[in-house]
Amino acid sequence: MYYVELAVQGLIYGSMYALMALGLTLIYGLLRVLHIAHAAVFTLGAYVGVITANATGSLWIAFPAAILAAVLAGIAIYRLVYAPLLDRPPLVPLIASVGLLILLEDLFRIVFGNQGIAFNENPYVYMTVTIGGLSIGVLQLAMFVGSVASLSAFAAFVAFSRTGAAWRATLGNPQMATSFGVSVAQVRYLNFAIGSAFAGLAGVLIALLNNYAEPGMGTIVSYKTLAIIVLGGLGSMRGALIGSLLLGVIESYGTVYLSGGVDRDAIAALCLIAILMFRPEGLAKRIAA
Amino acid sequence: MARFGIALLIGAAIFAVAAGSPAQAEVKVGFHAPLTGFAAADGKSASVAAQLAVEDINATGGLAGEKVVLVSYDDQAQPAQSIAIANKLIAQDGVSFAVSGTYSEPTRAAATVFQEGSVPYIAAYATHPAITAAGPYVFRPFKIGPPQGAAAARFIVEDLKLKRVSVVSVDNDHGQTALSGFKPAAEKLGLEIVGAYTFGMKDRQFGPIVASVKRDNPDVIYVAGYFFHGAPLAIQLRAAGVTAPIVGTQGFESQELISIAGAAANGIYVINGMNRDNPNPKYKSFMTRLTERGGAEATGVASAVYSAFMLLQDAAKRAGSIDRTKVREALAATTNFPHFYGTLQAFNADRDGQLPSPVIMVKNGKFVFVANIAN
Amino acid sequence: MNGYLVSLVPLIGVNAILALGLNIIAGFCGQISLGQAAFYGIGAYAAALMALAGLPFWLTLPLGALTAGVFGLVVGLVSLRVREDFLAITTMAVGFLFLGLVRKSALFGGEVGLTGIPPSGLGPQGYALLVVGLVAATVALSIYMKASWLGFAFASIAEDEGAARALAVPVPHYKLAAFFIGSALSGLAGAIYCYYARFITPDTFSFLVSVSILAMVVIGGIGSTWGVLLGAVALTLLPEIFRFAGEYRQFLFGLALLMVMRFSPAGLFGMLSRLVPARLGNLRKARA
Repeated sequence: MYYVELAVQGLIYGSMYALMALGLTLIYGLLRVLHIAHAAVFTLGAYVGVITANATGSLWIAFPAAILAAVLAGIAIYRLVYAPLLDRPPLVPLIASVGLLILLEDLFRIVFGNQGIAFNENPYVYMTVTIGGLSIGVLQLAMFVGSVASLSAFAAFVAFSRTGAAWRATLGNPQMATSFGVSVAQVRYLNFAIGSAFAGLAGVLIALLNNYAEPGMGTIVSYKTLAIIVLGGLGSMRGALIGSLLLGVIESYGTVYLSGGVDRDAIAALCLIAILMFRPEGLAKRIAA
Repeated sequence: MARFGIALLIGAAIFAVAAGSPAQAEVKVGFHAPLTGFAAADGKSASVAAQLAVEDINATGGLAGEKVVLVSYDDQAQPAQSIAIANKLIAQDGVSFAVSGTYSEPTRAAATVFQEGSVPYIAAYATHPAITAAGPYVFRPFKIGPPQGAAAARFIVEDLKLKRVSVVSVDNDHGQTALSGFKPAAEKLGLEIVGAYTFGMKDRQFGPIVASVKRDNPDVIYVAGYFFHGAPLAIQLRAAGVTAPIVGTQGFESQELISIAGAAANGIYVINGMNRDNPNPKYKSFMTRLTERGGAEATGVASAVYSAFMLLQDAAKRAGSIDRTKVREALAATTNFPHFYGTLQAFNADRDGQLPSPVIMVKNGKFVFVANIAN
Repeated sequence: MNGYLVSLVPLIGVNAILALGLNIIAGFCGQISLGQAAFYGIGAYAAALMALAGLPFWLTLPLGALTAGVFGLVVGLVSLRVREDFLAITTMAVGFLFLGLVRKSALFGGEVGLTGIPPSGLGPQGYALLVVGLVAATVALSIYMKASWLGFAFASIAEDEGAARALAVPVPHYKLAAFFIGSALSGLAGAIYCYYARFITPDTFSFLVSVSILAMVVIGGIGSTWGVLLGAVALTLLPEIFRFAGEYRQFLFGLALLMVMRFSPAGLFGMLSRLVPARLGNLRKARA
């Protein structure tokens, strides 16, 4: 039972990685930008969530507010930072992204204080449900279900809607898509909007689980999700999903059994190097290629 | 005419400076703390405490009669920066003494520089064991990591009378030095360690650790980490139905522990936490002013920094001068100094202060004093 | 020079050598590395362990560099398998793996680090002079290398790896050479830092350090030796210069990174060298 519990805990945390990694993959797939500042969008979502919940007393307002703020931030980042740098070598947007992350993290610190902001009221942190003999936190369950639901909804959108078709076409061959009348610029905005919405959602969920938001909460998440999207095969959504859940589970066991050899943050690194040595293309090849 | 006027002004200024200075000689004291970056909350409290201390020193006769001028820099808790700062304080600012209001790594790096410059240097709250190994000019009126860990083991066995412990520690020097003292002490006292786990500085979700502790079913959980680990961990343990008491390290001591963990904070013990019920009237006045100036976020850090400055004043008084060698000797000869954490009996051969470890706990959303673990 | 300025020299020197080392890998040979802090750390830890074992200073410095170079070769082997962004993230992972292993290893002092490293014996002034000499040697090496046949081979790989292969350039050998030299320089910087701080802990070699080394290279002007040198000096002094900014120091640092990339992606050196031709261009436009 203990081993099952470890696996479940891993899947839950892995589902948070999945929300973050999917956004990064979307952005990488179209723009070839390693969007490290995605972590700042995640943190922004967390802060807006905490502040709105404290001001209105309602999570039903906090969630949409956080996601909206994240979407707007994502679009602004694309418009102001990446769009003018797309024809530059990939290092340039990468360093710009790092600068943006440092700047925004410090902005959170300056505006909202050094030690973060806690929820005034968050009764959900103590609620648990029992499923098949395992007791799981309500918020943990929400994290898992929320991730699965939003990622499935997105998959359905891509597979069945008209916009989804245009989106897939653009990802596969931007030039061809343009000649069929798809606006590549719009698809890029759409990518940032969707990816950032996922980050905002992940931010509020983690804030709820931690019971507070803090300036540096995104740094390690961003490093790990970068590792995940590479591990999954850059630009592959399926690979990113598998990679996220797998890393979650491996970290969960690793926390208990590997702690004498390496620290937890190195586990993702170890997995990445091991997998790339055997499969230089990552777990899955790009679907759109 | 204008030129004559300027000459007159300059003359007057020189006269004013010349007339002003002999009234009271000045002595510069260097100080560094992390005012920006991840450790800024502690740095802010440390820096306010330093200012208050210098005001109080100057109001009570200065350092052996000389007025103290504080020279303070931000080190971002980075060793490379603190080395440059230490050199700047010595070579450019010409400080006679220095106090560290920062973490272990920047303190240890700067200690070598101050030692080589023969500038007495007092580390206010850094717990890395090797800091005072830099040399005889470096002092630490604070309990180092391993004895803090040992004190925790004694508190669990002697005061709480519990027998089985799960140990959870953060992967950094604070967590691991505390653990290095806890483990042998636990063994000696017959305290059984039923599980040991570590986590990273940035971890806030402890699912696998909570599951493991639940399986271990210990009497008590020792957590060597900071409040931003302790608060979410406490919530997650309680949510999972683990009711064993939690004993935390010095890093737990922050009002934020209570505001983040809410009800789950109740009953958490903190080893080497600042006793807020300290009856010392000086402490009460210090706390009032600290709060007024917005430095109360990290009370323990602020108290330790203030005490470090007071120790310097005490040593200068006993030395009867601000001669650095004499003050160093006076520091080394300190006995029964009233540190806010308790009476500093003396410095040991490594120039680490011999102090009791106060234990505090959270009760109804407030830190209250529990016991003193004698040295 | 007073003691403060003298004490800044090794710090600037360490960053300059780190940046010039990465410039050989990333600027000359086009292989992105986000893990240089690992080689920096390997050099520092190797030098520290040898110094603690009693080896003299003049031996630990080159041996520290050599150790880092050998590990660089191993990572170079990785670069033969994965490319571009894959390589960037893989090298980032190498950095995290290095830290993870050092943190848990008693040999390296674990979290507590290594203390009691003996002084270099040169005194602050002498040490600063030595560092200046090493930086000058690194600059000379960079300039020589860029102009040599090696430099042309590197450039051909950076430009188009496939084309270089077609021209019978033994790509793997050159990639490995770039990784060896660049990492050995990082290791040298580590050994210099080790005697400067005389105390090392894992946190000194974090991911943020890798990023700031890369930032120095890119902000200075990737591929340009003088530009990278300028970038290293500027970014080392920036926190010192920004002292006036107090609470906003880190914020301004991030802003500076972002703004340089946004408005002058060729780096500071690119900006400087553009000023003159831009004026000429304006003249020409006016005439037309």
